[in-house]
Amino acid sequence: MGSSTAIRELQRDLENKANDLSKLQKDIAKNHQVRKKYTIQLGENELVLKELDLLNEGANVYKLIGPVLVKQDLAEANANVRKRIEYISAELKRLDGNLQDLEEKQNSKKDAIFKLQQRIQSFQAGKAKA
Amino acid sequence: MEEAAAAARAAAAGKGTVTPFASLFPSNEAQKAAKRVEEKIGEKEKELDCINEFVTENANLINLVSKLPDELNHEIMVPFGKAAFFPGRLIHTNEFMVLLGEGYYAERTAKQTVEILTRRGKVLDSQVESLKANMRDLKAEASFFDVTASEAAEGLVEIREDFVEENPSKKSSKSGKFLPLHPLSQLALLGFSPQSSPFNFQAINDKNDNKNDAVEDDEYARIMSRLDELEKEELEAEDEEVDAEDDDESNVQQHDAAESNDESDTGEQTDATESDSESHENMQMEAKSNQLPHQIHSETTKSGVDSSKAFTGSIVESADIIQTNSRQQAVTSPQASKPAFDSSKATTGSIMEGGDPIPTNLQQSVTSSQASKPAFDSSKAFTGSIVERTYNLPTSRGQPTVSSQVSNSQPSKPVSRFKMRRP
Repeated sequence: MGSSTAIRELQRDLENKANDLSKLQKDIAKNHQVRKKYTIQLGENELVLKELDLLNEGANVYKLIGPVLVKQDLAEANANVRKRIEYISAELKRLDGNLQDLEEKQNSKKDAIFKLQQRIQSFQAGKAKA
Repeated sequence: MEEAAAAARAAAAGKGTVTPFASLFPSNEAQKAAKRVEEKIGEKEKELDCINEFVTENANLINLVSKLPDELNHEIMVPFGKAAFFPGRLIHTNEFMVLLGEGYYAERTAKQTVEILTRRGKVLDSQVESLKANMRDLKAEASFFDVTASEAAEGLVEIREDFVEENPSKKSSKSGKFLPLHPLSQLALLGFSPQSSPFNFQAINDKNDNKNDAVEDDEYARIMSRLDELEKEELEAEDEEVDAEDDDESNVQQHDAAESNDESDTGEQTDATESDSESHENMQMEAKSNQLPHQIHSETTKSGVDSSKAFTGSIVESADIIQTNSRQQAVTSPQASKPAFDSSKATTGSIMEGGDPIPTNLQQSVTSSQASKPAFDSSKAFTGSIVERTYNLPTSRGQPTVSSQVSNSQPSKPVSRFKMRRP
């Protein structure tokens, strides 16, 4: 009787861990998506910066804000784009760190689940013998 | 089943392992992986299509922008809402607001716009290139998975064992069961055809007979000394050596080709070439006699031996050479077995560097157990050799039938030969 309750407990534990693991995996997938988005934005911003660098001094530059085009100074626009690139790069780095963390957690969870499964199996084998 | 049993035996001996490929990479798993990669390829293909669309759009836009300033104004139909158009006129044909991205617009002339657009086109081209490279990689991966899946389905096994250096002389004196037949086994190892070295086969059958009759050790000693004599005779002969070497070279090349067809380790390949050169040296040192082959050649033709049989004989030999050169044996045995059987079945796995005698015997048994599945006439003779090698193992497979078979096939000839040659 005691062994059956122990098994039930182990199974509950296993279930909890499995839930945690799936949550972690979801987080990782989300992280991947966000990262993809940021990488695309980074590429776009770099393109813009290149084009802005190629413009001559007197060129008129506008920024689309909502429905209106607002005239901007070329230097200001340039600075804005640079800042944006910096921000995105920092964000990407942060996401990378996050991802590593998540993956470590995932691996440890996987190990734990594996061990739990083994224990349950050995329990069941013992029961079958008895 | 048989592989699994063999693996268990090998593991029990603690000398080597035989792992069925299917257990390492279950075929359905491999197929799943292949499917996943295929899906990825499909995704990339879609991306590529999308980018290609962009490229053509960009080209069209460049075309249009470069044409617009040709006229001062253009008569056009201006879209009004979703369904309505009204006539209008395009003026300021040389002024463009170009979207640079991220909500930034720049006022540009047509010429400057075209420049921007061509730059954009270049970026798109590079993207297309990288995508294509990506897809090539994925395709290679997919084909690899496919191959793995099919191999697992075919029942390939991986044979692995540690390389243990064994002193040849010590071993042979310890057990009279193993005969150090240097020159013969060398030849056999190299997969000599029965035409060029018929005495090979003869000698093997002699041995089989003797062994199966369970003769005492001194009998072997006698044969051994006899063989040494033959060896000396061989040394005298020089001219035969040349074409023999040619022969063996071509054979070895053949084996190598077969090997590279299978998924073998590169290490194994190098080993194969190594052993190749090694045996060349041996060949030179222990050249065969020209008189002996001739003599026996007539015998063999009389007895009507078919080549596959002779070949299995050579495999038996190769089991023997463990004593003399364990490393070579381990490497070459799969080669030797290859041409005799249908290649996919027989190759059954890569033998890692290895070769202390007993596990190698196990390996041999594994290869043979698989090889005997495809029905070919000499399978019996071959299993006979296994039985004799795996003396320490529970051999349920028909020893008596085999021995009788062997002795039937070569009833009195070997004996008579030795008698005849004995002074």
